[in-house]
Amino acid sequence: MTSLVNARSVSKNFGAVRAVDNVSFEIEKGKILGLIGPNGAGKTTLLKAVLGLTDCEGDLSVLGFNPFKQRKQLMQNICFIADVAVLPRWIKVTQILDYVEAIHPNFSRSRAEELLLQTNVRSDAKVKELSKGMVTQLHLSIIMAIDAKLLVLDEPTIGLDILFRKEFYANLLNDYFDEERTILITTHQVEEIENLLTDVMFINDGKILLDSSMDALSDTYVEVLTSGEGAQKARGLGPIAENQMFGKSIMLFEGVSREHLEGLGELRIPSVADLFVAKIKEARK
Amino acid sequence: MIANQPALIKRELWEHRSIYVTPAAIAVIVTLGVLATLMLASGFAKELDMAIFGAQNLAGDVERRAALTGFFVGTSWVFLVALMFLTVFYSLDSLYAERKDKSILFWRSMPATDAETVISKLLTAAIVIPAITAVGIWATHLVNLIVTSIWVSAKGGDASVLIWGSVSILDNWLAALIVVVASGIWMSPFIAWFLFVSTWAKRMPILMAFMPPIILGLLEWIVFRTQYFLTTIGDRGDMTPLFHSMSLERFFEEEQWRDGMENISLLQHMDLVGFVTDPGFWSGLLVCGILTTAAIYVRRYRDDS
Repeated sequence: MTSLVNARSVSKNFGAVRAVDNVSFEIEKGKILGLIGPNGAGKTTLLKAVLGLTDCEGDLSVLGFNPFKQRKQLMQNICFIADVAVLPRWIKVTQILDYVEAIHPNFSRSRAEELLLQTNVRSDAKVKELSKGMVTQLHLSIIMAIDAKLLVLDEPTIGLDILFRKEFYANLLNDYFDEERTILITTHQVEEIENLLTDVMFINDGKILLDSSMDALSDTYVEVLTSGEGAQKARGLGPIAENQMFGKSIMLFEGVSREHLEGLGELRIPSVADLFVAKIKEARK
Repeated sequence: MIANQPALIKRELWEHRSIYVTPAAIAVIVTLGVLATLMLASGFAKELDMAIFGAQNLAGDVERRAALTGFFVGTSWVFLVALMFLTVFYSLDSLYAERKDKSILFWRSMPATDAETVISKLLTAAIVIPAITAVGIWATHLVNLIVTSIWVSAKGGDASVLIWGSVSILDNWLAALIVVVASGIWMSPFIAWFLFVSTWAKRMPILMAFMPPIILGLLEWIVFRTQYFLTTIGDRGDMTPLFHSMSLERFFEEEQWRDGMENISLLQHMDLVGFVTDPGFWSGLLVCGILTTAAIYVRRYRDDS
């Protein structure tokens, strides 16, 4: 596997606040990694460091470049959509295509126009005349027409309705993603993307709580729905989290084999959202 | 660095339409003003008829040349005043607006460096806006010469002699071009200061741009009872080295026009060599370089997105 992003002991301080605290991780080619964390966890700061938008301590290499010092070279092979509507409101659709075509060596205008034809975005419209969903469609059409190795999405669907959100991810998977491309994504709507992800990383207070492939996740974590005596026995095995629902206990286990848990209740693979909540609570204890 | 500049400058023209709308508006206003003056003059008295531009009742060639050159200089001056306001507001807005509407995140997602972006804005303010202003001046002159020629011809005058034969068009146009382009370069330290403020100010860049020099000037006055700082800034506005050989009193002396001047030349009053060899020219470029570098640095390191 080829490592596209390689972070070793990366930290970033804002005054006395340590936004990213000595994190190390790798992102390999062909992965869709979900970076998940509560507000203020350091997700956006980490993404900015990866994108070269902010400097940081430690060793960070993205596509073999130092992102902060070699941002121009990096941006030729990397795309990102930030967490707010960032397309300038005054620009026309044709102008933004002209601009990207002139600036970006890996942009295919015909591909972008083809993608835009599938939307309601008129080519003569100004961005300020488009709805928020249409602006995101425009941005995504531009991004998907760029032959980039790494796509970074920071809360890309925030503020969009469910129809646009579903369409956004469907387009991303069907028309963009292949084994040559890598996607790094953050979102609060974990449930909507967990089926897309190949890997997941939890971050809290600037530290990485979990860094795993989705396959390994189902081997490591097991959820048991149990009650009565089964619950008593299960509790003895040291669940990392326990919740009550409809008179039953839902316990989450880490590193306990399924054989040990068989017979104690109904075994399930935990959702990323449940796992996230459990890990955050565990970290805050 | 150079390859991306055309696209980046084109982007500036898309965003700041006032760069070409303002000169176009002035051109229309001046033309309408000339037409109104011609009609008004005709309406009042026969003697005034065609009196404004190369009219038959202006005594001689020299006076006619002087009148037309006056018109050329006057309209160019209107454009220069507009150029000054346009440049100040453009420079102060250019790196501030992108932070305000967060579009900086989109621009920075493209493979254009902060240095390329800031330099494109400096080039727009110091070269492109003056160049467009020069085109505006030329177009206004040309349109008004044509309008006046039609007017004079309709009144029975010979426009080829009275108008076109009485003005050194190329001399005037070249002079206008030199003045606007030279002003962009001469004022580049101010432009770079505005760009720096534009990328640095959290709010109200116009206040942030003008308050520090005023406060510094006041402090100098309070502490030393001198006014070197503000005087230096004020004096730079005169572009003295370019007009070194020009005396305003002498320029408007009637004798001067009669003293065997076959052609009134504005270029004669300019000292290009003196301008580019003046220490103020080079020190200005140095200050411009320092402040532009500071603006690039702030855009690169600032993170208020």
